[in-house]
Amino acid sequence: MAKTFHLELLASDRPFYVGECEHLVYPASDGLMGILPGHETLVTVIEPGEIKYKVDGQWRYCAISEGFAEVRSDYVLILGDAIELPDEIDVKRAEEAAERAKELMEQKQGIMQYYHTQAALNRAMNRLKVSRRHNHEI
Amino acid sequence: MSNMHEIKERIKSVSDIKKITNAMYLISSSKLKKARKDLDATEPYFDKLLYAMRSILSRVPDEADELVFFDRRTHIPPENRSKLLIVITADKGMCGAYNHNVIEKAESMISKTGMNYLSVMGQVGRMYFQRHDKKENVTLDKSFFYTTQNPTLYRARSIAEEIMERFQKGEVDDVYVVYTDMKSSSEFEVRVQQILPLDVTHFVKSDKDITKHHEAEFYPNIEAVMRHLIPNFMKGLIYGAMVESFCSEQQARMSAMDSATTSAKDMLHTLSLQYNRARQAAITQEITEICSGSEAQSSGGNF
Repeated sequence: MAKTFHLELLASDRPFYVGECEHLVYPASDGLMGILPGHETLVTVIEPGEIKYKVDGQWRYCAISEGFAEVRSDYVLILGDAIELPDEIDVKRAEEAAERAKELMEQKQGIMQYYHTQAALNRAMNRLKVSRRHNHEI
Repeated sequence: MSNMHEIKERIKSVSDIKKITNAMYLISSSKLKKARKDLDATEPYFDKLLYAMRSILSRVPDEADELVFFDRRTHIPPENRSKLLIVITADKGMCGAYNHNVIEKAESMISKTGMNYLSVMGQVGRMYFQRHDKKENVTLDKSFFYTTQNPTLYRARSIAEEIMERFQKGEVDDVYVVYTDMKSSSEFEVRVQQILPLDVTHFVKSDKDITKHHEAEFYPNIEAVMRHLIPNFMKGLIYGAMVESFCSEQQARMSAMDSATTSAKDMLHTLSLQYNRARQAAITQEITEICSGSEAQSSGGNF
C-alpha cells in the first residue's frame, strides 16, 4: 500500500471526490503541479485544465474550471467552480459555447464582457480538450 | 330558493379556490425539495470556502493595501458612509408573512442606519419600494433586475461582480443583505448580514473558530490567490443567502397554502351543511304547501 493523503475535490454544485489519494497533478498558473504525500503547506490558484489523481494505483481524470487548492502534508483541498468527469462533458454543448464565445470576442464589447467571454472560451476549450483526450484512449 | 342558489355558488367558488391552493401547495413542495437539494449540494463547498478564507486570513498579516475588499475605510465617518442594502423578497405573494417580514426589516434598517442605495431582488419587494421610493434619500436601483426563482451560481456571480465593482469604485462603503434564514421547517428568521467590507469575524460564531495555522506558501503569490478567492467567496455568500431565502419562501408558501386548503375544506363542510339545511327547508316548505293545498281543495269541495 502506497503512502496516501486525504483529498477533497469539491465542486460548487456537488462534492466530487472525498477520499485517499496517492498522487495528484493539477494545473497551476504556470504549468502542472504534482503533489505527493508530505508536501509542504501551500495555497495556490488552479487554472482551467485537467486534474489527475491516483487512487489504488489507478489514475483518475477530471476537468476543472477555475479553482484553488490548499495543500498540507496529509491533506489537500481543491475547490472548483465546476469539476466533471471526461464522460460527463457534453461535447456538443462545449463546442457551441466555444463557437459562441469566439463570435463574441470578435465584437466590440466592454472590458468586463471581454473577460467574461474569454473565461467562457477558456472553459469550453478545456472541456473539449479533456473529453477529446480521453475519448481517443478508448 | 335564492338562498340555496347562493350557497351553491359559494361552494363552487370555494372549491375552485381550494383546487388552486392545493396545486400551489404541491408545486411549492416540489420546488422546496429541489431547493433543499441544491442547498445540501453546495453546503460542503461553501463550508470549506469559509474555512479556507479563515485559515488564509489568519496567515496573512497586514498586507491590507492589497486586500481591497477588507478595507473598512475608517477615515469616513459613519454619517458620511454610503450604504447599500440588498433585499431578497419573493417574486410572488401568497406565502404568508414572508414578504412582509423581509420588507419590515428592510424598512427598519433604512430608518435606523440610513441607507443610501437599495437593490431589491424579487418582484414583490421591488413593487413595494417603487411605491415608497419618494421619501428620504434612498435610491432604488432600477436596473438591479434579478429574479429569486431557482437561484443559480451564475446569477449569484453577476450580482457579486456588480457589487464588488461598486465597492471598488468607492460608490458604496458598506453592503448589507437582508434575507430569510430557515432555522427549521417551520421557523424563519429575517437576518441582516454585512457582506462588504469583508470581515471574517462576521461569519464565525466565536473567536475560537478562527484558528491559526502554520505558515504557508502562496503560489504564485498572495494577491493572485486572493483575487481568485474573494469573488468566489462573495459569490458563495450571495448564493447562500439566495438559496436560504428561496427555501424559506417555498416553505412559507407551502404552509400558507396548506392552511388555506384546510380552511377551504372546513368552509366547504359548513357550506354543505347549510346547503342541505336550506334544501331540506325548501322541501319541507314545498310539502307543507302541497299538503295545505290539497287540504284546502278537499275541504273546499263544499263550496
